Order: sequence, then structure tokens, then C-alpha cells
Amino acid sequence: MLLFILKRIGFMALTMLAVSVVLFALLEIDKEKVAVRVIGQYTTPEQRALWLERNGYNRPIVERYVSWLGHVAIGDFGRSVRYQSPVADVLWPRVWNTVILATYALGIIVPLSLVLGILAGMREGSKLDRAISVTCIGTTSVPEFASAVFIAALFVFVLGILPGTSSMADGFNVLELVMPVMVLVLYDFGYVARMTRASMAEVMTTQYVRTAVLAGLPYARVIWKYALRNALIAPFTVIMLQVNWLLSGVIVVEVFFSYKGFGALLLDASLSQDVYLIEACTLVAVFVAVGTQTIADIAYTYLNPRIRFT
Amino acid sequence: MRDQKEHPYVPKLKQNFAERKIDRREFLRTSTLLGVSAVAAYEFAGRIEGRSLLPKASAADLPKGGHLRLGWRVPELDSPHTFAWGGSEFTRSTCEHLTRTGPDNVTRPWLLDRWEASEDLKTWHLHLRKGVKWRNGRDFVADDVIWNLQHVLDPNTGSSVLGLMKGYMMNEDGSAVWDANAIEKVDDHTVRLNCRNPQLAVPEHLFHYPLHILDPEDGGVFGVGANGTGAYEVVEAAIGQKVVIKNTNTHWWGDPVHLDSMEFLDLGDDPNAELNALISKQVHGVSELNVEQLPLLANIPHVQVYDVATARTGVVRMRVTEEPFTDPRIRKAMRLATDCGKTLELAIQGLGVKAEHHHVCPIHPEYAELPEMTRDPEAAKALLAEAGYPDGIEVTIDCKPDPSWEIAAVQAMVEQWKGAGINAKINSMPSASYWDIWDKTAFGFTGWTHRPLGVMVLALAYRSGVPWNETAYSNPEFDALLTKAEGILDVDARREVMAEIQALMQEDGPIAQPLWRKSFTAMDKRVKNYSPHPTLYYFADLLAIEPA
Repeated sequence: MLLFILKRIGFMALTMLAVSVVLFALLEIDKEKVAVRVIGQYTTPEQRALWLERNGYNRPIVERYVSWLGHVAIGDFGRSVRYQSPVADVLWPRVWNTVILATYALGIIVPLSLVLGILAGMREGSKLDRAISVTCIGTTSVPEFASAVFIAALFVFVLGILPGTSSMADGFNVLELVMPVMVLVLYDFGYVARMTRASMAEVMTTQYVRTAVLAGLPYARVIWKYALRNALIAPFTVIMLQVNWLLSGVIVVEVFFSYKGFGALLLDASLSQDVYLIEACTLVAVFVAVGTQTIADIAYTYLNPRIRFT
Repeated sequence: MRDQKEHPYVPKLKQNFAERKIDRREFLRTSTLLGVSAVAAYEFAGRIEGRSLLPKASAADLPKGGHLRLGWRVPELDSPHTFAWGGSEFTRSTCEHLTRTGPDNVTRPWLLDRWEASEDLKTWHLHLRKGVKWRNGRDFVADDVIWNLQHVLDPNTGSSVLGLMKGYMMNEDGSAVWDANAIEKVDDHTVRLNCRNPQLAVPEHLFHYPLHILDPEDGGVFGVGANGTGAYEVVEAAIGQKVVIKNTNTHWWGDPVHLDSMEFLDLGDDPNAELNALISKQVHGVSELNVEQLPLLANIPHVQVYDVATARTGVVRMRVTEEPFTDPRIRKAMRLATDCGKTLELAIQGLGVKAEHHHVCPIHPEYAELPEMTRDPEAAKALLAEAGYPDGIEVTIDCKPDPSWEIAAVQAMVEQWKGAGINAKINSMPSASYWDIWDKTAFGFTGWTHRPLGVMVLALAYRSGVPWNETAYSNPEFDALLTKAEGILDVDARREVMAEIQALMQEDGPIAQPLWRKSFTAMDKRVKNYSPHPTLYYFADLLAIEPA
């Protein structure tokens, strides 16, 4: 098991390395372009040449990559042009804000969708199943940019009970998280619930569940003791994917509610072509993606003894 | 008040006003420009019109203390003399200006006590207000003013003030101040400007927003804790996040200012975010409202909407050094292909007036009425053919989505241009990126703010070689006419020169300009003593806020 975990972590490191090569190649091979983005589009060629020389861009490409990687590894991403400060100073508070948002959203999405999914999957085709399924499909198909407007109109303009933006200007305020979390939950819980339902429904048709029922065990006990644990394996992977989505895919919600998070930063960095900030954001996003996948893989083998490799 | 020498034109001005040849605003403007104090000018106007026009300054009954928060974009603020978009919102009450143009479009002395202009408008005495102190306790003296003027007029600084003052303070090619004695120290509290050409609008130029009076010891750099003469100091500043200014209770004018502190909160590129924040009382005011947001505020009891007529506009600016706009016929074709009336309707629901492609507004005193330049796609096509483009041209216009009317105007015009064989692709870019290229791109749509005089905006934007000349327009005939107009005090006489300039802009100029707009903003009703300025400036040292 330990060997397997080490293998997975090694694989994760390898993926990150590959991504860093691609990222570096895309953004930094053309050093002229870097100079343009950092010191401005309309600088003279002499100014750019001077800047490139001063910042070590005239070294061989491999040497530049290794030096860049070394700096990145110790958290030194360079200086953000847009924010006029070290990238790390801008990046980490934003990541932390998004972690907070994601934690609240997941804290609601996971229990809600698991309960609904299990209830629906227990008796496939029942009225309860139909009702839950229709609700889930309905909410999931409304895009975030639409539900954000509806929710803001209702709670800010009509009812006037929730703060309209979530900039946390007076320090952390949980009320300001209500609307962003609501939008994320509405968009996402249906999907996880449907996945849970499918997994549950499948388990309910297996022979051991049927045997348990026919053997006269109480229905509740069959569900709790035999069906649930097996039914939750597939949703677990899906939930890990949601973690990934919540950390780097929440641009719309963050921009709409002025939430100073990682998604809004990613957008800002790309729009202003802030090359070092883009690199840092991309690496963080990839790290989260690869990291959650690794955790999912490891946990999966733990939950499902049949696919243990060792 | 009587002891100072009255400018010889003042009696004629009074007579013109008494005979109603000029309106009240023009009278107040010009007489204060010539050194009549605002109080005296208002009193005189009140005598003629039979009512007291002194603005009510009932500072005593305004609430004290409190924290006022506005939704506002936060750019870099480390170099006030080169501000080109925003920025001065945070510095207007931390390091101040020599003069102030109020919401009534009248310019009054501020760090100055008064000014005097010679009869030929070539010598200006700026008398500094005595007793003004920097926040660090040092006296405010003539050397401070001289350093600031020299700094903004140094071409290496890159300040837009250079554009305003080039005609009368700089040498022919704009490379240096025209005479070593141009900015002269008379004594510790008097500075004399010896101008190369007559200039009427010196006091208004002194309120051009980048012309903050900075402490020479800071060397033009500004930031948290920087010195200044204002009541507030910057205590927190983070690009894209917020700026906080705090009352230091050390203001030279004695009366304490009302607010404890003021904050500018950056809510991002989505214009609805500021509105949502205002409605849910997270901020007390927004930087500006878009026309389509007005109905949303109609039924919100705690919000007051303000509107003000302005000479704010946006121009389709064609860089005359880039193909195909090097040919004046192409530029004129763009104007002929534009339907100003339709664009006004589509972009701002008609809440403004049609423009005439020459960047002089009907509310400018020297505006000359010309025959309307209506849309004529056939004539535009003919001009394009003449210039060697019988099949029309393909261009890409850079613009920004914020404020939203700008892109709406561009979309409307792009459709109109098609009728004349001009196919334009729209490249909408984030505001911050647009402001990186606004004065360099070949073809773009740039918003211009209000200036009190027509000659001011022309001097800023179209005189050869000035920093804000975004189109690289360079026409000796235009420059000569503009310099001439800037030296004519009599509005009717100046208007005659303006008619020539305006016609030249329509024929040869580097812009197509569809509209002038009204500006709208909104504040919480708790905010007191706010009156909307044509440029939507506010003055932190005047505002107050009622406790919740």
C-alpha cells in the first residue's frame, strides 16, 4: 500500500513537471513576447533588449527553464505586472479565499447530494426518485451566470436581505458567502446527486442485496450495512472532481460577486496578460487537479479492496 | 478686496452681463479667472439678477466623523503627475491643487489666495495662500509650486499637463520650458508665469487633475504615508483592491473636515457589482452609473441618483501615422459614415446630445454652431474610392466594455459604417489593457472627460506632440489657430476662431465623435454635501455622512 501511495505521488510529480515544461514553452520560449508583456507593448527594441539581458533571458533555454523551475519550487513566481508586487503576495491570499468558498460549498453539496442520491436510488422509478431527478436535472441545467443574476435580483433588489457583493471589505462576513455558495450549490448538487443515485440503484440490484432482503433482514439494515458503503465508492471520485472544479472553475461566481478569489485572479491575469501571474495560477490549478485525482485514486483502492494492486 | 488691481476687461465684463450679452455662468467664470474673487463675482451677479447666489456653506450642521466608502476602481497611484485614468480620486484631498473648478464650472483659488493676469494675458501672478502647511508641518512656499510646475513641464515626466501648457509655457518643439524665467519666484508667496503666448485658462489648467501639488522631497512619487497639504493621508493602498485615506485633523484651513476616513473599494470589471453593493448598503456611492442601470434604482428608498450635463464623450480616434488613416479623406469618410443621432439613441438612450466630430461641446462658452454634418454613406464611399479604396476598407477597432455605453456606441457605429463599405471588427479589451494602448493603437474608441473650456480639450488632445495626443495628429494650421484662440478673452471673438478650428476638425481631424453624454451617479442618502461635478469628481474634504 505504501509503495502504491509513493508511486501515485511520484506520478503526480511527473505530471506537474510535464505541465511546467509545456507552460514554460508556451509562455517563455519567445522571450521577445515576455519583454513586451512585462515592460509594455510600445517599448523600443533597445529597451526590451536591455531588459532581457538584465533579467537573464539571453541564457540558453534549458538553463532558463531550470532556473525558473528552481524559483517556482521555492514559491518565487516573479513579480506581477498588474498588481505591482510579488506574485506570491497576491496569489496565496486569493487561493485561501477560494478554499474558504469551496469548503462552504462542499459542506452543503456533499451531504445534500448524497442524501438525495441515496433516497432516489433506493427505489428506482418511485415517485420520490422522479421528483428528485427532475429537480436535480433542472437546477444543474441553469448556468451559473443566469442563476447568479436571479439570486441577486431576488435577495438584493426584491427582498433586500443579503449583501450584494462579497468583497469582504469589513473582514470575513459569512453573510457575504451566502449568495456565491447558493449559486455554486444550485449548479452542482444535482450532478453529484444523479451520480450517487446511479451508483445506489446499481448496488440495489446486486445479488447480495437481494439475498439480504430475501433472507428477511430489515430494509433499513440492508441499506445501512450492505448497500451504502459500496454505493459511495463512485460518488467519492465525483466529489474529488468537484473539489477541483470549485478551486479553479468558479470564475463566473467570483467575478459576479466581486469575491477576491483565485478564479477572479486567474481571469484578471489572463486578461491583462500578466505572464508570471498566469504561470503561477496555472501551476496552482494543475496542482489542485492532479492532487485531488491522486487522493481519489488512493482512497479508491482503500474503499474498494478488489482493485488494490499490491 | 478692492485694493488689488482690477483687470481692465472686468468693467466690460460687468457691463456685458448687465446687458445680458453673456450668461451668468460665463460672467462668473471669466471674472473669477481674471482675479475677481468668487465671493465678489457672485455678489455682483446677485445684484444684477436680484438674488443672492452665494452658495450655502453650512458646514456647521453637517454630521462629524464616520467612514465613507465608495465603489471605485483602484489603479496604481505612485505617480500622480502622470495619471491618465482615475487615480486623482484618491489624491485630490491628500495632495491638493492650486485651484478648484467647482460643480458650477467656476474656478476658484485653492492653495492660491488669488491670481492676477496682465492685460495681454501673458503675465500671471499666482499669490499663494498664506498659512498653508504641509502635513509634516513645513510651510507651503513658492519653491514648492515652482518645483511641481517644472516637474510636470519636463518632457521626461510624461505628464499631460504639458499638453495644456505647451502653447504658452514651452518652446516651439516642446522640448523644454521656453524661457529660463518662465516660472519666476517673486517672493516666498508669489510665483509669476511669464508666458510665450497669451493664455486665458491658466487657473483652469492648474486644476487639471494630474497637477497635484506634491512635496518636492518625495520626488514625484506618491503612496502610503506620502506628504501633502490636504487633510487626508493615504494609509492603505493595494492595486485592484482598495485605497483608504484618513483624516489627519491637520488641515490648513482650520475648520476640521467632517469624515474620519474614506475608502475606495475595487469591485472589479462587472459594472453591476458596484450597484449591488450600493443597494445592499455595502458602499455609500458608486463611481458612475450606466444608463441602463437607472431604472433599477428607481424604487430604492435609500439611494439618491444624481445627474449632470457634461462635455464628456467618446471619440473614434484614428492614428494619423498608421495606414489607412494617414489619408485625411479616409478619416472624413469615417465621419460621413457615422450617424450621430442613431448612435446617441442606441448607446445612451438619447440621454445626451449629438456631437459634431470636432470635440467642442455646446456647453463650452466658445462653441460655434456649424451646419450639421449628417450621415452620407455615398459621399463616404466616394472619398474612400478617391483615396484608393474603391472596395472599402477592413479595420479593427479597439474598445472597452466598461462603461457599457462605449461598446454599445461602437457596435452601433460599426453597423452604420458597413453602409459605406467600411468593415470594422470589434476588439473589446478589459479597461486596464485598453488604457495601456489607448495612445498607441491605430484605431480605437477612447472616453474623454469633461473640461470647462473647448480650448482646453483641444490643447490636451490634438496639439502637435503633446503627451495625450492619442492620434499623433499634427497640423500646423490647427496649432496656430488654437494658440490664437487661447489668447482671446472675449468669448464672441474667440468663437470666430473656434468656428475655423471646428470646421478644420470636421474636414481634416483625426476623430469621429458621435455624442456628448449626461453623467449619472448615485449615493446613499446618508451622504451629505455632495453635488455632482461635471467630471464626477468629489471632494473628500467637503463630504459628510450621517450616522446609520
